Amino acid sequence: MNATLVRRLILMDLYLMRWPVAGSLLAGSVAIAMMPLGAVSSYVGSVCLICVLVILNIVLVMTFIVQEKKDKVQIFMLSLPVSTTQYTAAKLLANATAFAGCWVALTIAVVAVIDASALPNGTLPFLLAVLAYLLMYYCVLLAVGLASDSAGWHATVITIGNVSVNFLIPWLWSRPSIYQNRNSPFAVWSGDIVAVLAIEIAVAMAALGLALYVRSCRTDFV
Amino acid sequence: MTERLIEVAGVEKAYRFFRLTNVSLELEAGQIMGFVGPNGAGKSTLMRILMGMARHDRGSVRVLGHPIPEQQAPAKRDIGFVSEDMRLHGNVSLAWHMKLIASIYPAWDATYADVLLDRFNLHAEQQIKALSHGERVKATLLLALARRPRLLLLDEPTTGLDPVARHEILTELMAVVQDERRAVLFSSHNTQDVEQISDQIVFIDRGRIIDASDKETFLDRWRRLHLDVPAGVELPALQDVVETRTSGQIAIVTTKAYSPGLETIYQRAGAQVRDIQRMTLEEIFVANVMSNRREQAA
Repeated sequence: MNATLVRRLILMDLYLMRWPVAGSLLAGSVAIAMMPLGAVSSYVGSVCLICVLVILNIVLVMTFIVQEKKDKVQIFMLSLPVSTTQYTAAKLLANATAFAGCWVALTIAVVAVIDASALPNGTLPFLLAVLAYLLMYYCVLLAVGLASDSAGWHATVITIGNVSVNFLIPWLWSRPSIYQNRNSPFAVWSGDIVAVLAIEIAVAMAALGLALYVRSCRTDFV
Repeated sequence: MTERLIEVAGVEKAYRFFRLTNVSLELEAGQIMGFVGPNGAGKSTLMRILMGMARHDRGSVRVLGHPIPEQQAPAKRDIGFVSEDMRLHGNVSLAWHMKLIASIYPAWDATYADVLLDRFNLHAEQQIKALSHGERVKATLLLALARRPRLLLLDEPTTGLDPVARHEILTELMAVVQDERRAVLFSSHNTQDVEQISDQIVFIDRGRIIDASDKETFLDRWRRLHLDVPAGVELPALQDVVETRTSGQIAIVTTKAYSPGLETIYQRAGAQVRDIQRMTLEEIFVANVMSNRREQAA
């Protein structure tokens, strides 16, 4: 009964999130399509893609988790025959599926466009490191959204997440192993890139794990 | 033997500025229990504990035979919960919510849902965000009632509603317990609503249950006596008198355990009983709360 109900809650949330997800896929596709059109278009397209994923991240977490708590929709959801743990799992899985689905689709599209166009494949590791950062940023905001009701914490994570990408990009370019291989016809997976990707994935997993732990320790859910 | 749908024993829950202290109550099938208290008395806290949304620090809670919060999910299959501050998803319609609830609860009664739609004057295709406060409460109540739960937990459902909407809701609640397997726990600070539909009444104030009884007993045992007290006569101090107000030679005595013998006691003391008034539930509630607060302060 309850696995079925949790699946139903996930599908319900995905239905409610369909417009932001569809809009992001459309806008992200347009941004990626701009990339092979020239140097300026490539830059604009990349920035637009980052913006699309950042906006989707914030909309999904703030509207479907934080606002749902604030608006007391959560009381209605918790009146259904689910435990608080099952409800949390359903929220996390639905939200993560919506974002990760978009992220995976857009990342595959970026790889396909770069591979099929005149753009050098050497930029792929750099782009994947930036895209993985956006995934990590989403996981941290999702974790804070699930674990905390504090608007201050949400604003802090959003601000740091948005600003940090401006430090990450120049820092990545400052790594010789990344910069020197940017025009290579092949993707070069240097130690720097692998380390960055590993850190991003570890931080994302740790944030989600910590959020689930904090949530499991809570005694009050509304 | 009558089945107990709610069993709460010695429940405590502490917050920084509020404490629910040693709360015990039982609700049997076929009953409507009115849970009355001022704002911040602990009504919603107890409701949320019963639903597993808040975990109590001490004591035990069983709902429909299931220990809470451990087995909240199976218990909630047969509970309809509505609270005044509960919201539905704003960007979808009531019909969408009805479809969701129907897919979760096998006992969903589509015919009864249609009857309630008509009775509450709701439009299924209307988006939730376009509903007024009263319509929203009626929509949540429709979703709870049409699943035909054995237990209805209603946390201030009539707050902020106009008299017609309140009447519609109270009428539906009274219809629920015509099925003697079902029960309603109904919290409110509106004593008129509680007096109208409840057969059991519990008063709560500052996190403590201060009195509990069936409605008729409450109304029978609380009385207000108007006395003429000649100069020099002193009224005896009686244990069940919760308040005595005097103005010149007139005294108004409120008692929580009226018996005809009380008149004799005052007459023997030299006072004359001019009038004995029954009290409304609201007057009983206020007198009860104030007397309890005085006892706590003493």
